[in-house]
Amino acid sequence: MAPVSDAAVISVNDLRKSYGSVHAVDGISFEVRRGEVFGLLGPNGAGKTTTIEILEGLNKPDGGSASVLGMDPTHEGNRLKELIGVQLQTAALYPNLTVTELIGLFGRFYRHARPTSELLNEFALDEREVALSKELSGGQRQRLSVALALVNDPEMIFLDEPTTGLDPQARRSLWEQIRTFAAQGRTTLLTTHYMEEAEQLCDRVAIMDHGHILEMGTVNELVARHFKERTVRFISHADLTDERLATIRGVSKVAHEDEETVLYTTEVPATIGALLELGEQLQLTGLDLAVRRPTLEDVFLSLTGRALRD
Amino acid sequence: MNMRGLWPLTLANIKSFYRDRASLFWTIAFPVLFVVLFGSIFGSNSPSTFNIGWVDQDGTPAATSLRDGFATVPLLALKNETQDQALADMRNGKLDAVIVVPQGLGAALTGGASAAGNGPFQLIVYTDPSRQTASSTVQQVVQQVIGGINQQLSGTPPALAMATRPLQSVDLSNAAYFVPSILAMALMQLGIFASIPLVGQREKLILKRLNATPLSRATLVLSNVFTRLIIALAQTVIIVAIGALMFGVTIVGSIAVTAGLVVLGAMTFLAIGYVIASYARTEDTANALTSIVQFPLMFLSGIFFPIEFMPDWLRPVAAFMPLTYLGDALRQTMVGGAAYAPIGIDVLVLGGWLIASFLISARFFRWQ
Repeated sequence: MAPVSDAAVISVNDLRKSYGSVHAVDGISFEVRRGEVFGLLGPNGAGKTTTIEILEGLNKPDGGSASVLGMDPTHEGNRLKELIGVQLQTAALYPNLTVTELIGLFGRFYRHARPTSELLNEFALDEREVALSKELSGGQRQRLSVALALVNDPEMIFLDEPTTGLDPQARRSLWEQIRTFAAQGRTTLLTTHYMEEAEQLCDRVAIMDHGHILEMGTVNELVARHFKERTVRFISHADLTDERLATIRGVSKVAHEDEETVLYTTEVPATIGALLELGEQLQLTGLDLAVRRPTLEDVFLSLTGRALRD
Repeated sequence: MNMRGLWPLTLANIKSFYRDRASLFWTIAFPVLFVVLFGSIFGSNSPSTFNIGWVDQDGTPAATSLRDGFATVPLLALKNETQDQALADMRNGKLDAVIVVPQGLGAALTGGASAAGNGPFQLIVYTDPSRQTASSTVQQVVQQVIGGINQQLSGTPPALAMATRPLQSVDLSNAAYFVPSILAMALMQLGIFASIPLVGQREKLILKRLNATPLSRATLVLSNVFTRLIIALAQTVIIVAIGALMFGVTIVGSIAVTAGLVVLGAMTFLAIGYVIASYARTEDTANALTSIVQFPLMFLSGIFFPIEFMPDWLRPVAAFMPLTYLGDALRQTMVGGAAYAPIGIDVLVLGGWLIASFLISARFFRWQ
């Protein structure tokens, strides 16, 4: 586990930002502690990017206060920018500069910069060092974009959907890099709409929707807070109607996800037993039974009535 | 002010520029193509004949036989004119040079004047010094003819001599007109085309990404200015070199003033480029706006033909265009071209456009 200390490196209090009549950020408060990987989780338009950009000093809040590394990002942005690393949602790169040139260039904007070769190596970009950024693959661009966020050896990094568009392998390797960063006692604030990412990577998450923080805590806390049940899943079958399933012992709710039926139950063995019995009666095969603890996805669904990816 | 990153960013901008084929074409290849094309079509390197205005103020048989002497030179086509008419024709480009035979030739050749010890009688030759080939050919021919006559008369001291007078022609068929004009056009394109990568960088969120670093906005703008100025100087060297090597057009005026005008012109059109970037949201819009601004400037600013050739109703438009004044100032300074306005006015008008454009873009330019 990352060495998380009690010192807050980010503290946000009643932060607000509106665009016209849209309240992009509507009075949110949270703290991030040193060494933590903190995730802002929510669908597109939830206000994650606006929040992160206010903390980076790229956007001015309408109300409330924010402090990053003890500085006010709105008024002490120049001093703050020396110490933070930023990765925007879009890999914003000069198309006609090479990987090496871009890392070297960004390094020159800071008082202290890490050696280019070190970053090339760390992000497995050494084979593409002379490639123009426009020639890179999506995954390579994303890695370069994160490498640029680390060029000044920052105390904390802001990553806005860092793994969007990455294949699973590239995603896992980026998680590993973030864990290494956190293990050095440095802080990460990231946004994501991948549940798995939040569950695997984040020490704590805040679930955002419509500019509000709906829930905040560790993944375990959030799941335990919302669900006493476990879920039993199987491939849906016409003969297994919702009415019939709802009568099974322990089942509190029947839901459907893609081709699967999801039973929420407080008594897993009894539910499975009854289900198998039903299957035998109806001579069903290939139900593909699985038992799962509810996920953040379920928490989000129960908080908003919508699936996160929608 | 924190200027860290200024030179690395300028260098990066220049690299981005020369790796972008489109910008390289419009700012370097396109004007070079124009100079070569127009120079070759209209400002032929070695014309077969030169049109000469013949002004006979003497009217004696001696003058007539002198004319016959010149008429035998196959390079020259003589045309009898009054002095005013001849000089006007030369300014308009109908004549390449004017030879004036002042009154008193007959008397001088029959011995009166030279016997009186007034020195040799002088023929006055008007040539355009910015057109080296025409100018030197005509002068050589005149010298040879005079030499022949002096030999025949075998008098000492020589009876005839030549006095040359410079006269700038606004000849369409004159590479000297095109070289400074197209340099002005190239500077205009360099400046307003700057809007396209700028809007592109905003659209691609590069400006936003830079804003997340300690790089200051002043440094960013200054770096763009330096980038364009460095490219402008490169353009100037290339265009002037081609003018000199291919068409013999050399800078007759002050190089320092020329350089100053190049800088002023580049800055003015760069500021106009920033105005375009203030209004264009996407790179495509910037592209379209750039064309909309570019073509009227190109054709209504006396770049391809002098403003005197324009219909009357179009002239006020030309008088409004900043490129009119940059072209005019560069022509006057580089090749001693006929003035559309005094250089001071040219500089004032350009300065006015620069300041106005700067204020507009300072007010309306969006970084995100």
